[in-house]
Amino acid sequence: AQPSDWEYRFQPAATDIMQQIAWFEGYTLAFIIPVTLLVLVLLGYCIVRFRASANPVPSRTSHNTVIEVIWTVGPVLILLLLAVPSFQLLTNQYTPPEEAQLTIKATANQWNWDYEYQTDDALSFNSAMLQEDDRAASGKEDKSVYPRLLAVDNEMVVPANTMIRVLVTASDVIHAFAVPSFGIKSDAVPGRLSEVWFKVEKEGFYYGQCSELCGKDHAFMPIAVRVVAPEQYESWLAAAKGDLPAANKALTAQIEAAGKLAAAN
Amino acid sequence: MAHAETHDDHHAPRGWVRWVYSTNHKDIGTLYLIFAIISGIIGGVMSIMMRWELAEPGIQIFHGLASMVYGVEGAAALDAGKHMFNVFTTMHALIMIFFMVMPALIGGFANWMIPIMIGAPDMAFPRMNNISFWLLPPALILLLISFFVPSAPGAHGIGGGWTMYPPFSTSGQPGPAMDFAIFSVHIAGVSSILGAINFITTIFNMRAPGMTMHKMPLFAWSVLITAFLLLLSLPVLAGGITMLLTDRNFDTAFFNPEGGGDPILYQHLFWFFGHPEVYILILPGFGIVSHIVSTFSRKPVFGYLGMAYAMVAIGAVGFVVWAHHMFTSGISLNAQRYFTFATMVIAVPTGIKIFSWIATMWGGSITFRTPLLWAIGFIFLFTVGGVTGVQLANAGLDRMYHDTYYVVAHFHYVLSLGAVFAIFAAWYYWFPKMTGYMYSPKIADLHFWVTFISVNVVFFPQHFLGLAGMPRRYIDYPDAYAGWNMVSSYGSYFAGIGVLIFLFGVFEAFQKKRVAGANPWGEGATTLEWQLPSPPPYHQWEQLPRIR
Amino acid sequence: MAEANAKQHDYHILDPSPWPVLGSLGALVMCIGGVFWMQYLKGNEFPVFGVNMASPWPFWVGVLIVLYTMYGWWSDTVKEAHEGHHTRVVSLHLRYGMIMFIASEVMFFVAWFWVFFDASLFPGETVQYARNEYTGGIWPPKGIEVLDPFYLPLYNTIILLLSGTSLTWAHHALLNNDRKGLINGLAITVALGVLFSFVQAYEYAHAPFAFKDSIYGATFFMATGFHGFHVFVGTIFLIVCLIRAIRGDFTPKQHFGLEAAAWYWHFVDVVWLFLYATIYVWASMGGVIAVH
Ligand code: HEA
Ligand code: HEA
Ligand code: CUA
Ligand SMILES: [Cu+2]
Repeated sequence: AQPSDWEYRFQPAATDIMQQIAWFEGYTLAFIIPVTLLVLVLLGYCIVRFRASANPVPSRTSHNTVIEVIWTVGPVLILLLLAVPSFQLLTNQYTPPEEAQLTIKATANQWNWDYEYQTDDALSFNSAMLQEDDRAASGKEDKSVYPRLLAVDNEMVVPANTMIRVLVTASDVIHAFAVPSFGIKSDAVPGRLSEVWFKVEKEGFYYGQCSELCGKDHAFMPIAVRVVAPEQYESWLAAAKGDLPAANKALTAQIEAAGKLAAAN
Repeated sequence: MAHAETHDDHHAPRGWVRWVYSTNHKDIGTLYLIFAIISGIIGGVMSIMMRWELAEPGIQIFHGLASMVYGVEGAAALDAGKHMFNVFTTMHALIMIFFMVMPALIGGFANWMIPIMIGAPDMAFPRMNNISFWLLPPALILLLISFFVPSAPGAHGIGGGWTMYPPFSTSGQPGPAMDFAIFSVHIAGVSSILGAINFITTIFNMRAPGMTMHKMPLFAWSVLITAFLLLLSLPVLAGGITMLLTDRNFDTAFFNPEGGGDPILYQHLFWFFGHPEVYILILPGFGIVSHIVSTFSRKPVFGYLGMAYAMVAIGAVGFVVWAHHMFTSGISLNAQRYFTFATMVIAVPTGIKIFSWIATMWGGSITFRTPLLWAIGFIFLFTVGGVTGVQLANAGLDRMYHDTYYVVAHFHYVLSLGAVFAIFAAWYYWFPKMTGYMYSPKIADLHFWVTFISVNVVFFPQHFLGLAGMPRRYIDYPDAYAGWNMVSSYGSYFAGIGVLIFLFGVFEAFQKKRVAGANPWGEGATTLEWQLPSPPPYHQWEQLPRIR
Repeated sequence: MAEANAKQHDYHILDPSPWPVLGSLGALVMCIGGVFWMQYLKGNEFPVFGVNMASPWPFWVGVLIVLYTMYGWWSDTVKEAHEGHHTRVVSLHLRYGMIMFIASEVMFFVAWFWVFFDASLFPGETVQYARNEYTGGIWPPKGIEVLDPFYLPLYNTIILLLSGTSLTWAHHALLNNDRKGLINGLAITVALGVLFSFVQAYEYAHAPFAFKDSIYGATFFMATGFHGFHVFVGTIFLIVCLIRAIRGDFTPKQHFGLEAAAWYWHFVDVVWLFLYATIYVWASMGGVIAVH
């Protein structure tokens, strides 16, 4: 997934966790918007009702225990109502429902990513932003699929419906690995290893961007995850160990062909 | 009591000595205010240039700017320009926070008004007061020098954000620019610590006879608490940046993992200061708004004690919530739970303040003079920023917001639409007192409306950008974000016009010299400053006022 | 307010003073000079309009300005005290000021202790693989030889504790109008302070680890070094008091300068006890002790 024009909410959720986050966001709005409106309405009421012209003689009240208790206890209750699902969400983010079947180590560098597939016969490659000049050569001309500043030369390819674990670290300065539609973000800190996980059903391209200031090209080190069918992933993995660009192209061709076939039928 | 003085000079010293050698809290306050206005203009211009850059996708101005300033060409200019954008972000924030808001609220208004409002002739340490001010220009100069000094390879100036996280601020920018900036923050920190000591001593020891702590104006309460936050948080920052300095220059391993150090440790030290700092920026504003709301409602502040102790609570809890800025940094699940919880707690005392302001207006007889417009604007816009803060407090949700424009929107609502609104409220409230002149209410109201509308246009859409995932500190963004960015940028141009109207209003007031009188606000204005002529005598309260 | 134009209160309204702005200038020169010096140490050039400024000197110029400012400023303060400006309320101000200054210093030390405990309590967190690799998951880190806490550091602890006693003696002597006791007590305190610094310098020179490249050395030298700097400043403060005592500046009633020095010295003392208990004793447990 990727942002769309004039987007004003989260990008569409691709994982269960992101769905939970999106739900919780809506839930918080259900409290904070009324609170804000309440403040607005009360202010508006004062402005209209207690203008000097409407109320020439001011009252001298400066205490009212009942009301003070109400506006102390009220927020406490709201916060409790927020806290319960909030803690649940947080716990869920740290409790993957199943063991990861694939672990990829993502190492951030100024200004690109190294992905290391911790498979029997390790695969590792570098992933950097797609340069505009390289679009044609790499067959990524369609900007709606390969958006400017989001598309990369070599995507992280992962199988659909599979629990993936990403170990995040960095080689030079702090970066952050983030994919909004997965609901994950983790700083990539030199000397530290942190972990995020996701499981995506729908095949496709999912984009994220480096989310910790890391220097001049901070805006130019996107993260692109390509989710494909498990069989396609297997054949890609086998091919990628030999010739990565060719494997990527083959994968694209395979998917496009299948897409055309489906469209023709 | 009658302490026979040999000779007491009651005439203001003349010429430059009066200002440069000053030991008079009002003169020093004036210097602070002028300094804050200059910094505000510099910081404002920088922000508008950032918005100009962000008005459209692609790189608009910074490669050209870099080649103008640093004399580089072609691809080198592009690289230098990309870094330069980060430099602007960094300097904009540092200037606005350390050289605009703090000098305006604490050095400026508090210096001017605290002694008067508590019935004291001056600050406790008048000479130290002056060094608190005079350390600021050197600090700003050091920061501005850093702009022209090499940092990252092929680039100039500090581009690590105002948070200056290592290793990007150590090995990532080896040139000496960062050293200048570190010293700048050191000096600004010394200035604030000395100022804090001065305010605490003044407020504890120099209240007029009969003015107990529980009769003290709320502005004095707010500054007292602010001063404690400064006193206890700034040294920790000083320690943190000193370690940056030794890591950079003496190869120590505090934040270098290869020698067993930890970059995250710096973040803890920074935010242990940084979070109290954000309350340092807003608490004086809370105090000011209380007075203004009460004055123009012609009613005493509602729930005075609750107001005072709510600020105490905010200050105290503010010290134990710092890691809510670090939810994605890899801190443990339990730590995230604790910091989520602790952070949410702050909404309660803050809510008490918001509702008490409304209750102060309730039943009042309200006149909508300019200061009150800003104060009402403050109350509403601060609430907007505050409730998004409560969203951010939830670690599970902050996962999405962190380091996106949602955070940028949050903190500009509390800073640029909170603290700055409080500054302008104070400005229009006390300007007649400080200068003796009345400004044109028409121009002042226009300034308010232009600013109110434009800053909302700047910052409200940034919530949308953040939700959609746009990271902060980006010079360029995917095309999908173009729409709201354009809106935001246009807003900033109008905010710039607002600043011009402000400056014109000041100019106009000094030119027209309309006499304001001792108390232009009527019977609602009950604090001590309104009992003095405008401007107050060079030394006020030669005879201490007595509080019943 | 024509009639009320004579000061009717005990607060001190100061005359304009050149010191603040001069001190600020000194700070500016010192900072710029500091950067020049650090560049010089790294062997870099620092061209300003074509002239290489990398050198230690500008820094020391700044230090001189700052020292001159301090001298002038505090001389004025002492003078004002003699002129009777330090009324009861004004000396109360000074007390508050000193207490708060010390409070801010405490927070400064919190920063050093924070890094120290972060590293020493958690040398082996699994997520911090680089730290683990460096420390071997233990503290003191593998390969680091530590100082024997019961050798020089213990002597220094005793020296500082003694100095605290002699200072209290001096103070009590003053309260009892015993000038000789005051001077002797102060002199002994100063001597002990100097001795402490020498021992510390000797220990530094023979330390089996360096400030550089290691979290152990970094935390050790930063915390103890910053403390050592405070001992240095405190010693100077006490020397000034000694001189003033000899000149007869202090009376049993009015001697805030001495009290402030004493507070400061006790603060430095207490910090040392914490340093000694944690960094020297506790954190050396299980470590390899360097032979001396
Ligand atoms: C004036 C400055 C100021 C103020 C007052 C605040 C106030 C608050 N802030 Fe904000 N904050 C900043 C300045 C400020 N902040 C800055 C500068 C940053 C970014 C730093 C950087 O990374 O560069 C930041 C970032 C920031 C983060 C980190 C986000 C991230 O980086 O991912 C968080 C997370 O918890 C947070 C939370 C809060 C909360 C809970 C409050 C609370 O104090 C708000 C309380 C107020 C209200 C809640 C409104 C009024 C209350 C009521 C009407 C009562 C009823 C309400 C409810 C029950 C909800 N802030
Ligand atoms: C008080 C603090 C403050 C203020 C007032 C502002 C004001 C503004 N900021 Fe600021 N901003 C920050 C603090 C502030 N900002 C911080 C902390 C960051 C984060 C930096 C980082 O990531 O490291 C940031 C980052 C930041 C960004 C994100 C940059 C990025 O991520 O790359 C943007 C982008 O739009 C922006 C824009 C603006 C705009 C358009 C204004 C406009 O509102 C400006 C209009 C000008 C004014 C309203 C001020 C006028 C005031 C005076 C003239 C003084 C008056 C004085 C007296 C009366 C005494 N700011
Ligand atoms: Cu990498 Cu930002
Ligand atoms: Cu915070």
